[in-house]
Amino acid sequence: MSRLEAKKPPLFTSEPLTKDKVSQSLSVLSGVLKSCYGPAGRLKQLHNGVGGYVCTTSQSSAVLCRLSVSHPVLRVLTASVQNHISRFSDCGLFTAILCCSLIENFKSLNVGSCTVVKISKHLLSLCMDYLKSESCGCRVSVDFSSVETLLCLVRSILTSKPACMLNKAEADHLTVLILKAFMFTVPCHIETNAVLGKCIIVPVKGRRVEESTVLPGLLIETLEIPLAKQLTIKRTCSNMIKVALFCVSLSGDCFDPEEGTITVHHGISLEMSELNQLLNLGKQLVNDGVGLIVCQKVIHPSLKQYLKENHVMAVDRAGLSPMEPLSQMTGSKPIVSICLLSPSSYGSLKDVRVENVASKHFLHLIPNHTAVCSLVLCNRNETTWDELKRACETAEHVLQLTVKEPLALLGGGCTETHLASYIRHKSYSLSSSSLEDVDCSRTQYQLVADGFCRSLEAVACSLNHNDGEILTDTVYGHCWFVPSGFPSDSNWSDLVSECGCRIKGKTENLKWRLLQGQFGSPVIQSCPKEPSEKVADFLTLDCFSAKCSGLQVAVETANLVLDLSCIIEDQN
Amino acid sequence: LPMAFRDVNARRHIGLQQLSSLAFAGRTLLGPMKSCKFIVDESTNQSALICSAFRLIESLDLTSAAGQLLNETIQAQNKEFKTGMSTLLFLAGAWSSAVLECLQQNVPVSAIVSVMSEGLNSCCERVQCLQRSIHDVSKELCCSKACQIGCGSLLNPQIFCYSQKEISAPEKVPINSHSCQEGDKYLVSPLASFGSVASLVKPAGDKSTSLISGCNKRKLTHSRYFSTLGKSHFSSQQGTFEERFSGLSAYPCQCSGLGHLAMALSHGNQTSMKLLESIVAYQQERAECSGSSQFNVAEIVTCCLLGLPESYSCVSVGFVTLVSPEHARVVKHFEDKPLRILLMDGDLSEQYRHLGFNRPSNVRTISKSPSLQEGRAGDSWLSTMLDILINFQVNLVLVKGNVCENLMERCVANCILVIGSVTRDVLRAFGEATGAQPVTYLTQLNAACVGGGAQVELWKACDERAVDLGELVPVRVKAEGIGLLTAVLSTTVASKVQLIEDQFWTLVYRLHHALNDKKVFLGGGAVELLCLSHIQMIAEQLSQPASRDTVKEFPSPWLAAAGMEYRSVVLKALAGGWKQYLSAIMCNAAEAASELEACTAVDNHLKKAADCGSPSAYILQEFRRGALVIGGSGPFADYVEGLKVYDNVTAKIEAWRRALDLVLLVLQTDAEIITGPKMNQLLNSYVSSEFMFL
Repeated sequence: MSRLEAKKPPLFTSEPLTKDKVSQSLSVLSGVLKSCYGPAGRLKQLHNGVGGYVCTTSQSSAVLCRLSVSHPVLRVLTASVQNHISRFSDCGLFTAILCCSLIENFKSLNVGSCTVVKISKHLLSLCMDYLKSESCGCRVSVDFSSVETLLCLVRSILTSKPACMLNKAEADHLTVLILKAFMFTVPCHIETNAVLGKCIIVPVKGRRVEESTVLPGLLIETLEIPLAKQLTIKRTCSNMIKVALFCVSLSGDCFDPEEGTITVHHGISLEMSELNQLLNLGKQLVNDGVGLIVCQKVIHPSLKQYLKENHVMAVDRAGLSPMEPLSQMTGSKPIVSICLLSPSSYGSLKDVRVENVASKHFLHLIPNHTAVCSLVLCNRNETTWDELKRACETAEHVLQLTVKEPLALLGGGCTETHLASYIRHKSYSLSSSSLEDVDCSRTQYQLVADGFCRSLEAVACSLNHNDGEILTDTVYGHCWFVPSGFPSDSNWSDLVSECGCRIKGKTENLKWRLLQGQFGSPVIQSCPKEPSEKVADFLTLDCFSAKCSGLQVAVETANLVLDLSCIIEDQN
Repeated sequence: LPMAFRDVNARRHIGLQQLSSLAFAGRTLLGPMKSCKFIVDESTNQSALICSAFRLIESLDLTSAAGQLLNETIQAQNKEFKTGMSTLLFLAGAWSSAVLECLQQNVPVSAIVSVMSEGLNSCCERVQCLQRSIHDVSKELCCSKACQIGCGSLLNPQIFCYSQKEISAPEKVPINSHSCQEGDKYLVSPLASFGSVASLVKPAGDKSTSLISGCNKRKLTHSRYFSTLGKSHFSSQQGTFEERFSGLSAYPCQCSGLGHLAMALSHGNQTSMKLLESIVAYQQERAECSGSSQFNVAEIVTCCLLGLPESYSCVSVGFVTLVSPEHARVVKHFEDKPLRILLMDGDLSEQYRHLGFNRPSNVRTISKSPSLQEGRAGDSWLSTMLDILINFQVNLVLVKGNVCENLMERCVANCILVIGSVTRDVLRAFGEATGAQPVTYLTQLNAACVGGGAQVELWKACDERAVDLGELVPVRVKAEGIGLLTAVLSTTVASKVQLIEDQFWTLVYRLHHALNDKKVFLGGGAVELLCLSHIQMIAEQLSQPASRDTVKEFPSPWLAAAGMEYRSVVLKALAGGWKQYLSAIMCNAAEAASELEACTAVDNHLKKAADCGSPSAYILQEFRRGALVIGGSGPFADYVEGLKVYDNVTAKIEAWRRALDLVLLVLQTDAEIITGPKMNQLLNSYVSSEFMFL
């Protein structure tokens, strides 16, 4: 019996941003994300409340993919942040926090949203032009001939994820490993179009971080330990090992459940005929001199037995992730059908060994010369391992982005405060012709610019999770932290030691001002300078491309949200 | 409303409170003198007897996020080390409450996190001076006075009584010794191995000790206990032994090996220790012949016999398992015959297919002759399989998974012994010993897959009688040159089965990890005491204005003062964890009547250590005297001389680190985000005010 139900009319909400519920939800979301930010960020336990897996994290990618927000305004926001994360991996929280702050700050201005959008676009272009110009005071160029800056970049990513539970030595060890792994993925012989190789993360949960290691080539875990004597693999005359790669299952069940019904006569066994086909395949592989077979799925035990008797090594259940790098490093084409076997799809390997890493047994497939490596990643338990894996993937991605654009931005809030100082300076010295282009009054421009700067500074402030104060200096526009509970009669200069990115120590007489709480009183700002010192050790650095994109995404998303005049929801 | 969100109150952190209350349940499980617990499920009235943190946490219903993280941490430690879980649980609890106190004193979270992990790192470096290499320890234990007067004195008095009790039933003794006859049949029951230990009377410097023959080893006359109790009896046996065994190959002396180490790591668990000693002796002998590793965990399995007294526990060469009486009849028939053996790594049934095989759902079979009945299909499979087994003259099949009942019956009728649920390690051991190649399907079988030279017999207890435990009969499967050993663990109390098995494996893995680490820690609280004194010393230095070195790091006196204050509060909290640990162990071991008394004793040690100038030297000296936290007084007092207790290095340090990581992970969490269907329940529940809904 079918039941008919009348369709509900669509729900129409005008001026969604003026609604209390939206502002409340937005401030909760912004609070959650702000509290996650930075190396001292607070962690979130995400779970279903009934005994399911508990994800402990402070990373935007993990929080946002588990957090399902219902309001359309918030969904717009989280969707664009997630899109940014999928493209750049890094600076997700920066983007989200900046976007929330921009919305909150612009909303409270008494300026028409259309004008706000225009001005903020102009401000964004000022920022982007500055960041991309040679005179930019908050970026450093990355020198690939030395590892220093690259190490800083990787270390900053690892240390900004407290749920990885790394101590200093462990963070240093992993930093080096990640950089090493990245180096392995850079091809030695560069042809016309160089392609970076791949780093496969091999999970070993439950072991100490120090036991992590990186090896060129590919590791596949094996439960059965092949004895040394069994590891005699057939080799070709050039002393290579011929490899066949199967992404089709060789388990002998090649029936497709989708396509209708097969009718067979009694006494005929489909299984047997499938198996015979597999054994024929095996015969052909043996005749072709194949030494190693890697199957993404399962190999039928009879076929395995046949291959073993003929000294062909067979590895099954390799999974999807090693297939692409395997094909890359062996030069073989994954075979998709057991009927079509062409000798051209075979590849070759230099060697196969048994490797014991962190008390697990692996088959180590060693290629001739290809940019594939395996990072055996260890951490003490599942929760911390998962977090560490995300951090390592981010770091690898950031290194790849940095190759394309060999620049880095100062981290620890310094880029944000420096940019804010720059925009403050620019907005006061803006020419009237520019104002005409934007089509607004100077006051309007300065109001919006102030909101923009306060939003940037709010991101820097989110790095502080104790009740202390955040300062910025008037010369370089860097970000400085003061712990809570200081005596009221003390000088700022007695309370600060180094700026957020650690490029400036308290070596000269600087003047500081509080970042928060100067509402209404416009700050006269001269153009911030670039620090003259050489790049020191342990600098906190951020990925240039990721942060630039984050800035753009945040401003554009905020503009989009501000421009929303109504929401129409289908309630069916 | 798909998401709820709870802010964790910063001062009274709910997660830390949960951790500390969960851990409180485990404080009696700490140390060598544990008290067991009964866990009762009120809804089903079922209960479980537990004696380890791992089983405790496993039996509790942990739905809170902190509880789940605790569970995950303990599981990880268990999977990796099989020891140190109680330490982990206790310290996680102690440090949680210590951190809560720091929060009450307004110490910032970031300061707690950094100082605590720095403090632990510093301790881990400091206690390196209490490590001893395995080589040194073995040598020292052999040369020790205790060894020279007979290792029996290493045992605590309880065990002494226990041994005496056993001696008073002297008919068991010769039987145990008699087991030597076959060399591999019975290694040793607890009692016999007691004798073997007691016989290690010569100093290790004497070369001859390393070549004491297998039968000499069992001379019991050297034991001061045994010789007084039944001297005539034993000496009358002795002659016959020597007669019988004079041709046997030399046994390596345990003095040169791991027996003592096993004892030092056993922490008073006598039954397991005896079993392990005999395993070690056997494996070392094999290692010398074949060059394989000295101690191989993968070649040890356990078999629990419910219904026999615990004194029947022993180690048997080969694979001991329980079978039905029908199978036992086949076993009897096969006794003393060499058997052809087949190994199967899946189930043995018609429906079974290898993992990853998807059964087709869209195949329809049509039949031209309707007279064929459905039931026949199964029959034909049975007879085909049976034919295969008969054709290849297979007598014994070891199956990793389940075995089809019907086939099992047919096999019994045809005098083929089929044993199911055999672990991978057992299959591997028989594969190596007999040359059999495991197969998944019987249709794969060819002559090369079948191994030869396996033997089966009814397992006999140390009184040489076969045992019938009602519905199940223990049998033993072995093969020439097999390395596999079964530790037969017997008990008459059903609820103790798991407990005894856990304790045995804990000890096995302690030895395994000690050999992997190649070093051990001084035990008996030495390491914890040094940590405690080390941290207290740093904390005190901080509170003294004289520590100028650290001031330099800070740009201003105020920052320095604030930093120092936090540091000293947090370090004291960290030290508090170890202090509670030590006092809990002392209370559990009844060395202190109350926590207060225990704390006083610990403080006393600390003071002496500080006065001594070098705490590590003091601790070393007290350890040598056996006057440390455990073993200073109380039941051990008379036997303290030479009682050396050692601990695993990595397992212990990892337990600390995991405990602290867990506490810091929970501490840094400021919100729980709950998604999914539970959300709606929360919305309507009385706690809904604690949540914010997005």
